[in-house]
Amino acid sequence: MQIQQKYNPLNLLVYLVLIIMLLFTLMPIVFMVTASMMTKNQILRMPFKWIPEGFNSINFTRAIVGLDGNYIYLRNILNSLIVSVSVAVSTVLLGSLTGYGLAKFRFKGRNFIFIMIMATMMIPFEAIMIPLYMVVMKLRIQNTYVGLILPFLVSAFGIFQMRQYLTTFPTEFLDAARVDGKSELGIYWQIVLPNAKPVMATLSIMAFRSQWDNLLWPLLVSQSEKMKTIPQYITAFAAERNTDEGAMMAAALIASIPMFVLFMSLTKYFIGGSAVYESRKG
Amino acid sequence: MKKSLYLILIIALLIPTAVFAAGAKDKAVDESKPVTINYWTHDDPARTKLENELIEKFEAMNPNITVERSTRSAQKQIELVQTAFAANEGPDMFNLPIENQYAYITNGRVAPIDYEAAGFKSKQDMLDQYMDGILDTVTVDGEVYGLPLELTNWAIYINKKVFASVGLDAEKDYPRTWEQMADISEKLTIRDGDILVRRGFDFRYPYYLIMFVPMVEQLGGSLMSADGKKAIINDDAWIQALTYMQQWGPLGRNLGSTTYQAPRYIFNADNNDIAMAHTGLYQEGRMKSENPEFFESMDWMVVPFPVFENAVNDVAAAYYGHFFMVNADSDPAVQKATWKFIGYLLSHGEDYLTRGGNLIQPTKALLESDTLKNMPYSQVFIDDMARGHMVYYGADSAEIQTQIRNAVESVMLSGESPQKALATLRSAVQEILDER
Amino acid sequence: MASKPYRGIEKKQARWGFAFVVPALVFFSVFNFYPILNAFYTSFYDRRALSKLKPKFVGLGNYVRLFDPARAESQLSFYNSLKATLTFTLGTFIPLLVVSLILAIFISNLNSNKAKRFLQISYYTPAILSSVIAATIWMLIFDPRGLGNQWMNLLLNTPGVDHKWKTDPMMLQISTMLVYFWKYIGYFVILFITGLATIPPTIYEAATIDGANKTQTFWRITLPLLKPTVVLVSIMAMLQCLKTFSTQYMFYTNGSTRAPINVITFNIYITGIQDQYLGRASAMSVVLFVLMLVLTLVQFRTTKSGENIDY
Repeated sequence: MQIQQKYNPLNLLVYLVLIIMLLFTLMPIVFMVTASMMTKNQILRMPFKWIPEGFNSINFTRAIVGLDGNYIYLRNILNSLIVSVSVAVSTVLLGSLTGYGLAKFRFKGRNFIFIMIMATMMIPFEAIMIPLYMVVMKLRIQNTYVGLILPFLVSAFGIFQMRQYLTTFPTEFLDAARVDGKSELGIYWQIVLPNAKPVMATLSIMAFRSQWDNLLWPLLVSQSEKMKTIPQYITAFAAERNTDEGAMMAAALIASIPMFVLFMSLTKYFIGGSAVYESRKG
Repeated sequence: MKKSLYLILIIALLIPTAVFAAGAKDKAVDESKPVTINYWTHDDPARTKLENELIEKFEAMNPNITVERSTRSAQKQIELVQTAFAANEGPDMFNLPIENQYAYITNGRVAPIDYEAAGFKSKQDMLDQYMDGILDTVTVDGEVYGLPLELTNWAIYINKKVFASVGLDAEKDYPRTWEQMADISEKLTIRDGDILVRRGFDFRYPYYLIMFVPMVEQLGGSLMSADGKKAIINDDAWIQALTYMQQWGPLGRNLGSTTYQAPRYIFNADNNDIAMAHTGLYQEGRMKSENPEFFESMDWMVVPFPVFENAVNDVAAAYYGHFFMVNADSDPAVQKATWKFIGYLLSHGEDYLTRGGNLIQPTKALLESDTLKNMPYSQVFIDDMARGHMVYYGADSAEIQTQIRNAVESVMLSGESPQKALATLRSAVQEILDER
Repeated sequence: MASKPYRGIEKKQARWGFAFVVPALVFFSVFNFYPILNAFYTSFYDRRALSKLKPKFVGLGNYVRLFDPARAESQLSFYNSLKATLTFTLGTFIPLLVVSLILAIFISNLNSNKAKRFLQISYYTPAILSSVIAATIWMLIFDPRGLGNQWMNLLLNTPGVDHKWKTDPMMLQISTMLVYFWKYIGYFVILFITGLATIPPTIYEAATIDGANKTQTFWRITLPLLKPTVVLVSIMAMLQCLKTFSTQYMFYTNGSTRAPINVITFNIYITGIQDQYLGRASAMSVVLFVLMLVLTLVQFRTTKSGENIDY
């Protein structure tokens, strides 16, 4: 949407709203960054001083070295990366495949299946925690990457989004490709996917993020220190008898970096409107 | 059309049901030597370090035994151990606070002690080594089901400097009664309008079974009748205690509230925002590592749990314990190995005290040891232990504590009258007792 | 038999379509259908978490207990949970929907791509932040001595007033809504931006040529074309709010009272995991599930999801 802007009070209102929201959302982030550089005394002191009295690297040292002193954090970061990337990729692939199937094909029970899949979005995790745990134990995948990834391989929300997006995809292109003799899978891979980039980008960010921050499931499944994920690592600093807020913030700061990187690289797929539409036409 | 729909549905449901519902657990007796012990416990950096060392030594001495130790936060430990057992896949060895553990005994989830494997000559030998009565809490029908990892009680830490700042001498003027506690806190409190910038004392919310019920007991009341059938005994005692809390809170004298930072977290920082904290011996270890100057300066002290002026019983805050227990459904070979491991760990009582998080194992040897006596103010804790009793640990303790919490908070924060809150509490607890 | 509805090619396509959908179905049946059926089954029994005995069959007993009028008085009753859940949902998802739409439009209108990117990332950072950290930070903000009171008192010029973010029943609900709103606003802004991005700019060009001003363009073109996204976001937001749990849990474990924030999921958790009444907890889960289903259908009907908008 590139509409010519004239300087008017409406613009001022727009900027004001945007900036207020900015402050609101960023304030806790600033807190995190500041607190990671402070000693415990300073963090707990109220009123909170936003400008730290000098950079204190002790929190970062503690965060990386870890409570046992064996740098397990690096392994936790790796675990989180493996899980989050796998889930992001599978969510996008399976979500688009299923969404495509539901949007562009007609078969018996299509609507029923769609409704069943949507219904899974209405199941609160707390309700199924115990049976889910039993499933994992029976499959003997507890404390493994498979156990962490498998339940999140497909996302109902992803399917929904993909289906919405692909419903408006011009069927002529698909039919033309079929006439040309392309296989169904080929059509999916070469025509549908490349044109779904904005949704794919959005979905992959969301899937990655939800796994990156997933605490409850890894708590159940990852039992050994080597298989723990980042949120579990951060929680360990908040033990009942001793909370090391500084190290927590430092660890969290380090953990935010991959998310930022991912976000920065994928936003181009859905920010510039015309660019998106161009990719759609061909 | 309908036929295929049903087909889809049936297939979708049959696959997992067939795979999982059948589940007869194959617990084939494992005759081969190597065993693995799954040991679940809660986070505690100092204890983790110690136990990892001990595990290495133990595995070296017992090459066929592997110990898989995993940790989680204290709250999650309670929930996850339970989830695991509910799914019939509990860990081989775990520890929990006794009030959460008793249900495991009554439901047959844990195994009685294998005395010999644990390193004792006999049952009597084991009973002799521990503080009198401590093992009663895990004894059912004559069988003992757990060994204590720690026994903890809380006393009142005082920051002498804060006392001095209002002209009080902590050594002489420390509160001995709850009434004094309120008055002294009033002197120590600094407010900005309604907001408490500095508090004198504040309670250890929400551990009402440990700190509130004893206050009621001081006045002659109790949570339930001796046979456990009737809830809430002695209304006057309860009303007085509830009224005290109401006076303490924001709707009364505004000396503290449930939502400020917990005193035990901020006490060590010595930031002039709290004068007293209700916490355990382990706080000294935390102080030493977080704020060594404050610790060494000895500008702090510990005093016993206060009593009401009109108290009829001298009851200190309750103590609680963590016990090591063994999963009754684990393979027998694993169970034996686990008791051996437990015995080994617990034979290092002094290490647990000095560098494992200041944990007090209630063994006679440790309680009389010089190591314990040499820790500052340890005598206060030991004396308070004698004045107190084990926290209520029935299977429904969590539920009951929730109800007590509700009662106290409604009186403190929502302006409920103590009488009405008590009536609600009574009917709720009575219902819980009737459900048994 | 009537003529078959499918012929050669279409039949083949139908099979392919089905094949594409099968992998997802298998996963859902294992990791979603089976557990919820298990919960449904459990709701008819009085199952206790640790008990090894065969659970007693109580039929609809658990459900009756939930809706028992005699219990409705109690602060921790299921009726109160329903009320708390609905209050929270309405108070959160409507602002989320409206504000995120407004922000998405404002952002899309900006000229600088750099500013767009920066703003989007910034609004999304609460989601990037680990929930453990977010909880710690917000608890410190809502501490009576914390920033919450400081800034409110500054704004309202009322020094020393404790706004009781975590204790007053109404403030407590507002606090939970605030935290939740903060957490998810960026998420929904992105969804709307994605939706806005799918509207071809040629339409706007055509409108401008036709002489439409900005307001007309917005109300007559943008909003109707955005409808599918609005429906999507609205349903997502509502379901997300109905499923809220960790926010309430975090407040409770930091000293707040339970009754005002005893949303259904929280009630399920405490009843099942803490009090060990798995049967009752399962019954609540089923009721919540039905509630979500009903509300979603209501939303669908009232907005008549327009999938195929013709340009």
